[in-house]
Amino acid sequence: MSREAFINGQQVKFTPGETILEVVRKHIGKDYIPTLCDAPNLEPFGSCRVCSVEVSADLEGKAKRVVAACHTPMQENTFVYTHSQSINKLRKNIIELVLTDHPLDCLTCEANGNCELQQVAATVGIREVRYPEGKNHLDVPKDNSHPYMTSDLSKCINCARCVRACDEVQGQFVLSMAGRGFDSRIIKGADTNFSESDCVSCGACAQACPTSAISDVFQSKAVKPGKKVRTVCTYCGVGCNLDVAVNGNEVLSIQAPYDAEVNAGHTCLKGRYAFRFYNHPDRIKTPLIRKNGNLEAVDWEEAYAFIADKLHAIKATYGPDAIAGISSSRCTNEENYLMQKFIRAVVGTNNIDGCARVCHSPTALGMQRVYGTGAATNSIADIKHTDCMLIVGANPTAAHPVTGARLKQAAMQGKMMIVIDPRQTELAKYATYHLQLRPGTNVAVLNMLFYYIIKHGLEDKEFIEQRTAGYNEFRKDILALDVFALERISGVSATLAEKAAMAYATAPNAMSFHGLGVTEHSQGTFAVMQIANLAMITGNIGRKGVGVNPLRGQNNVQGAADMGVQPHQGAGYMDVTDPQVKQMYESVYGVSLPGHIGYKIPEMYDAALEGKLKGMWIIGEDVVQTDPNSQRVRAALGRLDLLVVQELFMTETAREATVVLPGSSFLEKSGTFTNGERRVQRVNQVISPLPGTKPDGLILAEMMNIMGYQQAKYEPADVLNEIAQIVPFFRGISWERLGENGKQWPVGGDGVDTKILHSETFKSGRAKFFFKEFKESSELTDNAAEYPFILTTNRELQHYNCGAMTRRTKNIELLAEDYLLMNAQDAERLHVEQGNWVELESARGKVKVRAKISAHVKPGIVSTTFHFPEIMINNITSDVHDTEASCPEYKVVAVKVNIPN
Amino acid sequence: MSKNLSALSAKKGLKDGLFERFAELSGANGTVGQEELKGLAQEYLIGSANTYGTVSFYDFLNPGNKKIYICNGSACMMSGKQVFLQKEISDHFREDEIGEVSCLGRCYENGAYQYENKNYSGGTFQDKAENNADGGYTVSGKGAVILTSGFSDITSYYESLVKWLKEDPVRLLKEIKKSGLRGRGGAGFPVGLKLETCHNQKSEEKYLVCNADEGDPGAYTDRYILERQPHALIYGMIVGAFVAGAGMGIIYIRAEYPEACAVVEKVLSDLRNEGVLGVNILGSSFSFDIKLIRAAGSYVCGEETALLNSIEGQRPEVRVRPPYPAIEGLFGKPTLVNNVETLASLKYIVENGGSAFANTGTKTSTGTKLICLDSFFNHPGVFEVEMGTPLAVVVYELGGGFRTKVKALHIGGPLGGIVPVHKIDSLHVDFESFKDQGFLLGHGSIVSIPDSFPMIKYLSHLFEFTAKESCGKCFPCRLGSQRGYELLEKAQHEGLDIDHILFDDLLDTLEKGSLCALGGGLPLPVKNALNYFGEELSPYFKESGI
Repeated sequence: MSREAFINGQQVKFTPGETILEVVRKHIGKDYIPTLCDAPNLEPFGSCRVCSVEVSADLEGKAKRVVAACHTPMQENTFVYTHSQSINKLRKNIIELVLTDHPLDCLTCEANGNCELQQVAATVGIREVRYPEGKNHLDVPKDNSHPYMTSDLSKCINCARCVRACDEVQGQFVLSMAGRGFDSRIIKGADTNFSESDCVSCGACAQACPTSAISDVFQSKAVKPGKKVRTVCTYCGVGCNLDVAVNGNEVLSIQAPYDAEVNAGHTCLKGRYAFRFYNHPDRIKTPLIRKNGNLEAVDWEEAYAFIADKLHAIKATYGPDAIAGISSSRCTNEENYLMQKFIRAVVGTNNIDGCARVCHSPTALGMQRVYGTGAATNSIADIKHTDCMLIVGANPTAAHPVTGARLKQAAMQGKMMIVIDPRQTELAKYATYHLQLRPGTNVAVLNMLFYYIIKHGLEDKEFIEQRTAGYNEFRKDILALDVFALERISGVSATLAEKAAMAYATAPNAMSFHGLGVTEHSQGTFAVMQIANLAMITGNIGRKGVGVNPLRGQNNVQGAADMGVQPHQGAGYMDVTDPQVKQMYESVYGVSLPGHIGYKIPEMYDAALEGKLKGMWIIGEDVVQTDPNSQRVRAALGRLDLLVVQELFMTETAREATVVLPGSSFLEKSGTFTNGERRVQRVNQVISPLPGTKPDGLILAEMMNIMGYQQAKYEPADVLNEIAQIVPFFRGISWERLGENGKQWPVGGDGVDTKILHSETFKSGRAKFFFKEFKESSELTDNAAEYPFILTTNRELQHYNCGAMTRRTKNIELLAEDYLLMNAQDAERLHVEQGNWVELESARGKVKVRAKISAHVKPGIVSTTFHFPEIMINNITSDVHDTEASCPEYKVVAVKVNIPN
Repeated sequence: MSKNLSALSAKKGLKDGLFERFAELSGANGTVGQEELKGLAQEYLIGSANTYGTVSFYDFLNPGNKKIYICNGSACMMSGKQVFLQKEISDHFREDEIGEVSCLGRCYENGAYQYENKNYSGGTFQDKAENNADGGYTVSGKGAVILTSGFSDITSYYESLVKWLKEDPVRLLKEIKKSGLRGRGGAGFPVGLKLETCHNQKSEEKYLVCNADEGDPGAYTDRYILERQPHALIYGMIVGAFVAGAGMGIIYIRAEYPEACAVVEKVLSDLRNEGVLGVNILGSSFSFDIKLIRAAGSYVCGEETALLNSIEGQRPEVRVRPPYPAIEGLFGKPTLVNNVETLASLKYIVENGGSAFANTGTKTSTGTKLICLDSFFNHPGVFEVEMGTPLAVVVYELGGGFRTKVKALHIGGPLGGIVPVHKIDSLHVDFESFKDQGFLLGHGSIVSIPDSFPMIKYLSHLFEFTAKESCGKCFPCRLGSQRGYELLEKAQHEGLDIDHILFDDLLDTLEKGSLCALGGGLPLPVKNALNYFGEELSPYFKESGI
């Protein structure tokens, strides 16, 4: 449907709906028409008028009209003049007016050299400001109230890019204009400062600002980097691309590239601002060995030799199965691959596991059981194409902020959203239906949804018939349920469940997202299987805007599992007990491999406590702080003969180590991360590893050689090639082919990637229906009488996991402690006031935490986070695990609330 | 305009409109408290920056809100009465309690002010009990009577509508198109075309908005209709809504017209009781109701897209077009926005047919036009004349000529042209005549500029008005109107000789660069003045002859 028009006489083709500015940029050049209020990720606004052009319906240019190119659609056979004399004059005159209310202190301005106003002023050729001095905004005070965000609104040109970024990109509405006419000005909150406002520090406004009116403490506008390196964020499974400005070995600032498919110019406060941990004085800069009870600095040779001796000795005395490894989902695919190879091929055991065990192992298992593949079926960008978003047990605006912002944007625009969550999350406020269930009753609520879908005959019979198995029995079991009993169990009214079920089932395209609120339960895997079944019963599989989309927690948790960081499957999810598979691995690794399944993480602690496990190697995972029942974890680690910990900081786990090896952060290494939508993306080294530290992959490769295995010198691209040989869905991946935006697996030999899984068929042929009944967690049946509250744990936006990195940035000034959310009714009954210390006691122990009275939790429910070792909430979490995948039940802990004297 | 704010406001809808909540909460203080702003933000899931940003836009809501407002509209200003009024009021109020308002529509007698939500004029503050009766203007006309006819009772007034509501709206649309009716708000856009566009949109939800934010200083023709011919307007709204397919209508009346608000509110209630508004009106299957929204003091809200933002509770900044409101308007739904006088003209078309209307007036400017005259005329008032009537008839025959020496007429609001008196004889009341001679019929208000009033001061007044009322969104208007005002003030009081090239550049920038007609329209009267009063103005400019 292409049409034709003329730009300065040149004939161009365009698609109806494209603006004149878009057409000019496409055909003539990006900066050909100067602009100020336009920004790549914002809607056309039409305020600066600098992009004005003349348009005429005939060649002679009769009846020329002046229009703003940014918001005027190109019309067929229009003649556009972008640089006529009168247009050049208009632009110059507009900029002159702007400069009448601008400080003109360019040489001392933060944005000097990076300022769009400066560039445009130069382009249009301003030489003087002819107006006499008049009213202005030059004395507006600066705002330095915030740990990250800064403003100097004397530099503001009122283009509202910041306001629009806060609205259209983040959806936070912190910024607005106030007043009108000449007096209009940017405000934060109800005319307060950044610190007092509801700012979430995403920095979208600072990135959007064309001058230095809004910037940050890193003076991002001032940055003239030696170079800019594009890499991938380490802070969650969204996988935001980051442009890191660097000078020598110093990271100056981080911006989000507009052309990134994943994050399109947006990122969150962790990705953009929380990078100063990388050279924090607390970084471990030398290997340490425990000598006489103390960890003492040693050199690498000594550390390697010590570890090799110990590992040989354990292996000789107790066999390879007395050794286990926990790999890190913060590390690259290449490093994870090497870690499992090290444990399997060099140590000789399948005792390898990763943090997925404690987060999304039920997702991988549940989805594998139902579909044959344990990964997100679709892409985050599909939010654009869906009609209904079902969000179960996830708080994306805090834990996956960029995805959270997209979901929030869609919900604000009126798209159907159903939230199933015990807490009133931010998204729940925007949702059409919020099913605020009692923690631990996902299975009951999801069964209610099935009940009403079937009762109203809203199944997709054709899809069920053609692509699934086990439906008839499933249907019978569902219809036999007593929904009102489920209503009593879950606290979710049957009417509400019915409405939600109908909304999901009748949407042309419905998409589900789930998080740890689904998996971290005794019935976690079953709930995942239900979510997968929900998509099947409604035919929401295999096209844009549908599917099942787990929000993976750590940046490379998908990759770690893909690389074989699990005790039952090697790289590429192949069964280690299958003789053919074993043979294949053996042929690549060149050694014989064990043929029995190894320990999962909780089993490692059991084995250690029983004296069967003697050595452990843990990379970048603070299991003491983040695994449940910390005392027990600590006790288990204490029984080991050797605990090697590869870490950046002296975490609670590193403190228990026999040997500590200083690893490197994501900024200091190359490799690949795989995000939650199966997108394998290149991580590019930004700076050299801090002196004394080594990239984790290098440590592993060196150690493998010292242990007597011939592992080639560590080169991430070479390791990636080896992975591509083994892992079928990596077949077409190579460092070069990944390009800037990565590829979503499976990637065929021809390099073509896959945005949507199961579009034609399932890996397992037909997807299977499984009926599961709700079963109360033993944590409650055993302990509820004595411990009447349910504690459910979650995440805060400002911190990441154990907080080892984020607590060592200014994020600590934004949130300095874990706190306990408590409903006002409970607070009143217990005489707890805002900010009071309370003691939480479970069958495992006690912790003290400060209370925050909140309507976000129902009476009887309390909720907190585990980011701070000062609180150590996992001292009281339980040993109950998902019956199938052994994922701990962090989300349901029976507690009582004691009031300390 | 924010799509998100629009969508979030739409969730609450008109029943619980954010904009009206501001007015409700502004209470006795005249402004909304910080806590209330936060509460509203939470309730509507928006930011307190948005609630603050919106209330701070309006004269009657912002934190600097006043107790009494003195009219500084063009007519009042030039009458000379406001100086005395100001002085008198200063005896009763502190300086920070006295605000200004640009035109209360009392241009026929001046001395206007608003106090405790009531308008007064033609007297002093002391004798306010007597002087708000507001009977002081003539209503008359010449030729066809379309807008100034009488009203008997509801049943007979609306009877002619009954049969049409049972027919295909396309038949009515055809008549309206045939009538050649053009918008009376100032732009003169063909009404049938706009109606057709809205009619053709496939949407379950559509709106009709009557723009009764008659902000042009010097204009009170809409006020006349709202207060004295409200049924003509509502009849027209029903017709417009029926043709467009809108189920809900809004009359957005400026807060400067409290009496008009009261009259319309009463009429709406009567009509609901009589079944003329509501479900299945007049026994048809068409359901339509009207909500009155009272504005909060901002001229730019008369710009249709700013008006839509205002209703949504957003800052009333001008939106980019496209999308046009008829396609994507209030809450993102197709919306027909029309001026009071335009809608009030529809009854005649329904009752007499499109051809009858088209046969009135000129070929391209059909029907009649209301013209209002200020207190410099011997017979100030509202006059209905057929389009094409010589301007001289209005000025000398109907208006009875001037009480004092007048050098120019500012016709069509602050953005209309400044017509020197010698041009009166060459103009006719229709769109083309004015346009062809470099003026603008606009909304049809006539403000006299007496010989004694310096033209430079008048131009400064126009720039000041624009600077004050600019929404602040587009750069040329926000900055240019202020700088223009400063140049003219400095020329008068600080001896500045204005660089005429700079001044031309400024006018060119405003005219070509502005987003809407406020900044874009200001250069017209200024250029007229430079053209016709060059000699008077030349001392203020660097080169003679300008």
